[in-house]
Amino acid sequence: MESSRITADVVEVSEFPELAQRYRIYGVPKTVINEHVSFEGALPEPAFLQQVLRAVDGGSTGSDVKET
Amino acid sequence: MALISSKDQQMLRDLFSERLQGDVTITYFTQRESILTVPGQECQFCKDTRELLEEVTGLSNKLYLRVQDFVRDAQAAEQLGVERIPAFVLAGQARGQVRYFGIPSGYEFSSLIEDLLDVSIGRTRLSDQTREALGGLEQDLHIQVFVTPT
Repeated sequence: MESSRITADVVEVSEFPELAQRYRIYGVPKTVINEHVSFEGALPEPAFLQQVLRAVDGGSTGSDVKET
Repeated sequence: MALISSKDQQMLRDLFSERLQGDVTITYFTQRESILTVPGQECQFCKDTRELLEEVTGLSNKLYLRVQDFVRDAQAAEQLGVERIPAFVLAGQARGQVRYFGIPSGYEFSSLIEDLLDVSIGRTRLSDQTREALGGLEQDLHIQVFVTPT
C-alpha cells in the first residue's frame, strides 16, 4: 500500500494445493517475494524489510532464505 | 444464517464508522453458482466467500462489492492478475494492490478488516523508515504470504 509497484497477496494455500507444491509450503505463514526469496514464520518489521530489499537486489541467499 | 455473528457485526459497524475514510471497492471473482459442478472446476469456497464479503461490505456505506464471473469477465481477471478463484482485490486510497486468494476465515478475517482500514486511509502503520524504503522502490515487487485457516 506504500508503493504502486507492490502487489501483496494473501493465499489460503489449503484451497490451492498446486501452489503448496510449487512453492514447497511445509509450514505457514510462508512468504515468497518475487518468486526467489522466501522465509517461514513472521518476522519483525525491519527483518521483513530486509528480505524485501534482498528480493529487489536480486535475491542473495542467507541462512534463513531459500531459493524456491 | 449469517457468517458473522450479530455481536461481531455491531463491533465492525462501529469500527468502520469510526476508522474508514475513503471508499473501498472489493472486486470479487467467482464462478456461477450451480447445483451441478463440472469435475475439476469445483470452487468449494466461492459461495461462502461471496456471502462473507456481502456481509462485510453491508456494514458500511463506504465499502462496495463488485462481483465478477471468472469465466465471463476473464479480461478483468487477467488485468488484475487473478488466475484462480475465489479471489478478490481491494481498491481505495492505497497505492499498489492487495489481493486475497481463498476464503479469509480465522485469523485472515482480522487481516482483511485491517487491510480494509489501511486501503481506505491510504497509508499503513509501518515505521517511517520502512515506508520510505518501500516508497522508493524502482522495480515491481510481488509479495505472497501463504496461510492456512486457523
